[in-house]
Amino acid sequence: MKITLYLRESRNEIKRLIKDPVLLISIAFISGLLFLFIVFPLIKVFQYSLWPEGEFSAKYFAEFFQRSYRWRPLINSLTVGALVALFGTVIGFIYAYGITRTDIPFKRFFRTVAIFPIISPPFLIALAAIFVFGNHGVITDLFNLDWDIYGLDGLVMTETLAYFPIAFMVLEGVLSKVDPAMEEAALDLGASKLRTFFTVTLPLATPGIATALLLVFIRSLEDFGNPIVIQGDFPVLTVEAFLAVTGMYNMPLGATLAIFLLVPTMIIFVVQKYWVSRKSYVTVTGRPSGAGLQSTERRTKYPLMAAMIFLSSCVLLFYGVVLYGSFTRLWGVDNSLTLENYRYVFSVGGQYISDTVTIALIATPIGGILAMIIAYLVVRKKFLGKGVMDFVSMLNFAVPGVVVGIAYILAFNTRPLQLTGTASIIILIFIFRRMPVGIRNGIAQLQQIDPGIDEASTDLGAGLFRTFGRVTLPLIAPAFLSGMVYMFVRCMTAISAVIFVVSADWQLLTVALLHEVDNADLAQAAAYGYVIIVIVLTAIIGLRLVVGGLLGRRTTLFQPE
Amino acid sequence: MFRRLLIFSLTAALLFGLAATGFTAKETLHMYTAFDVDEAKIYMDAFKESYPDIDVKWVRMSAGEVLARVRAEAKNPQASIWFAGPSTSHIAAAGHDLLDPYTESLAWQYLPADFKDPEGRWTGFYTGFIGFATNKEFLEKHGVEAPTSWNDLLKPVFKKEISKAYAYTSGTAYTTLISQLQAIGPKKLGWDQEDEEYIKKLSAQIHHYTKAGSACVTEAGLGEVAVGIAFSHDIVAKGIAKGYPVVMSFPKEGTGYEIGAVSLIKGGPEPQLARVFFDWLMSAEAQSLFKKWNRVPLNPQAELAEGLVTAAQVPVIEGFGGRITWYGERKDEIIDRWRQITGR
Repeated sequence: MKITLYLRESRNEIKRLIKDPVLLISIAFISGLLFLFIVFPLIKVFQYSLWPEGEFSAKYFAEFFQRSYRWRPLINSLTVGALVALFGTVIGFIYAYGITRTDIPFKRFFRTVAIFPIISPPFLIALAAIFVFGNHGVITDLFNLDWDIYGLDGLVMTETLAYFPIAFMVLEGVLSKVDPAMEEAALDLGASKLRTFFTVTLPLATPGIATALLLVFIRSLEDFGNPIVIQGDFPVLTVEAFLAVTGMYNMPLGATLAIFLLVPTMIIFVVQKYWVSRKSYVTVTGRPSGAGLQSTERRTKYPLMAAMIFLSSCVLLFYGVVLYGSFTRLWGVDNSLTLENYRYVFSVGGQYISDTVTIALIATPIGGILAMIIAYLVVRKKFLGKGVMDFVSMLNFAVPGVVVGIAYILAFNTRPLQLTGTASIIILIFIFRRMPVGIRNGIAQLQQIDPGIDEASTDLGAGLFRTFGRVTLPLIAPAFLSGMVYMFVRCMTAISAVIFVVSADWQLLTVALLHEVDNADLAQAAAYGYVIIVIVLTAIIGLRLVVGGLLGRRTTLFQPE
Repeated sequence: MFRRLLIFSLTAALLFGLAATGFTAKETLHMYTAFDVDEAKIYMDAFKESYPDIDVKWVRMSAGEVLARVRAEAKNPQASIWFAGPSTSHIAAAGHDLLDPYTESLAWQYLPADFKDPEGRWTGFYTGFIGFATNKEFLEKHGVEAPTSWNDLLKPVFKKEISKAYAYTSGTAYTTLISQLQAIGPKKLGWDQEDEEYIKKLSAQIHHYTKAGSACVTEAGLGEVAVGIAFSHDIVAKGIAKGYPVVMSFPKEGTGYEIGAVSLIKGGPEPQLARVFFDWLMSAEAQSLFKKWNRVPLNPQAELAEGLVTAAQVPVIEGFGGRITWYGERKDEIIDRWRQITGR
């Protein structure tokens, strides 16, 4: 009975679709793009791994389990991921709670510090760790330490600092939206502040905490830049997959390792999307919930503030030392100041700068528009396979960059789609990897807009495009613009996918940075890093002014992933 | 209003994109080079002065990575010339039929047989010797001398204090490996029992592996590790000449050397321009530029750097040159064994 009902529903939906050809074509077009640039490359990865020479062979899989140097990196990656998720969430929680739930001063400063690592290439922190804790590091020399920063310690430290902002943003969102009425009720009933925290606040925030843990875990698992600098003798899977492909041209091996990298991230992604996020205990009303319960107690305030000051100083120390390092002549030996490194960056790297910015500027608007269209289709329209489109468009978000990179060179290096070596392949990677965030933003924003407005437009005779362009888009403009800013930032700081596809014609700044680090030319690497940061900051501030001027309202320029 | 802004920015982006990916009046030569970026720039700038109409677009990768790239692009090569890197990697590429022979350059006349491919698929243009770069401060602190033997590297004082590159990404590291295979144990081709034991013990002494061959010199200079194993020209140019406190030494059992090669990639987009660069490279004028990086040029008329490390000063393994081709042809198998032993 259910099946016939489902079939009839589907048939009706198809009939409805055929009556609206514009919608039909849009859906077909978008589905085509999603399949070609998200699903097809992944299929290729599986193909290369399990059908290495045209015939089915589980040889590489078997080898993975037999040789310790193949599976140990996976264990290492998971270990690092778990630790980073834990520490990152704790730190993120400290910041989030301090900012949303107490009345400590300098909140803007703390918030800025908490978000800062996002606008820099993530592996700049590994470089900073060497500047600070390496054998000639600032702290090492100051305290005469005997600590080897390479390896597990270094990885956990750098990735925690690089990714705690994600936990922070998720938790900030959650903690600021928990209905204060619950806590007030507990307090009224006589519970102490501490008890309220543990029995009311924390449980209500649990889905947010779970989300933070999972998201940071994924980011740590897929991290490539930091490990390649500081993993030392503690190999992780992303680097192994990279070396398999670029160092050994062993595509089947690279594909196999990619699959083993994909499995944990996919599991986590699915768990988060279909289980944790459904259990949100946050009350979402149309009105901002204003100030939650703000604690003025010294017992909570001062320790939190102390922790936040300490952590902020760590972040500032790291970035500060890199800035200083970029002006040194020869780090560790000759610390005299010079502009030579920047001169180098602008001469040798001048082409890289223009390449990177060009590609980012092309990818950003295309990705932004595509994200909005998909968000619109997913939220407002009902059609067959909507759930699939929703899932697929978010898929690349869970796929580690290294896997995407490998998948794209496997999929697009032969006719008819020979894109390797061109700018297009880089642009495509950027678009389809970064789109999910734009889609999420769009969906969130669209859900807050009464569908009645759209209906009014269509009732008055406007077609799909007209409604979208003149009614919906202006209303979701903040999400659109913040999505674009985010996309631009990620384009400028991306490394793990694009390192596979740079060519003699098109080079990227982050790849150049990595080469300098690989060559142990630290001061030059630092200069590259800051050039990237300056470009990103300029874009963000520039857009903030434009948005502020145009729309006259504040927007949050960053959303957690 | 907003819509107009949107349309405007989209059109701008599209036009910008079209213009940027558009054409230039110059001719472009696409190149892969294994030279350090700082060093490559020296030659690119000089070439540009002699040939201002040729725009060279180059990507820097370690020799093993170039090999991997050229293999990956075999059906649609993106570059026309492979500039630098030990001949062993070029030999491996020739074995996969990825290179175009070229025997018309002037180098063909002055190069002895060991320094060029008999069929002209690769041509040597410099050499360099594998040596050790050791941090002076470390030596003072621990009261030891710089290593002068392959076995010195196994001393407890150097445990986890050595860095070198992966044998499969770096030409430097592969040359190191084949030097070790020949210097240690009985003089026979390929792996033997003593070689395996040595490599196993050495890998326990390694702090970390790098992708690029000369990175360990800077790391030794910085004091991140005590000893780096690299080519003499890199040790001088990136270590001593830059002001890092490193000292260079060679193993007394004998060390190997590289024949730095250049080759034309088969099916590359600009074969003619590649030949122009090739010919320029073989000239005395171009090879005199190696002074700046302390490389040993193969053109007998090139000027040499002062105090250059030449074969006369280094304990070279006897007959090493004659075996390079053998080791180049078997690169894959030899490295596979290395990976199994070291677990990396």
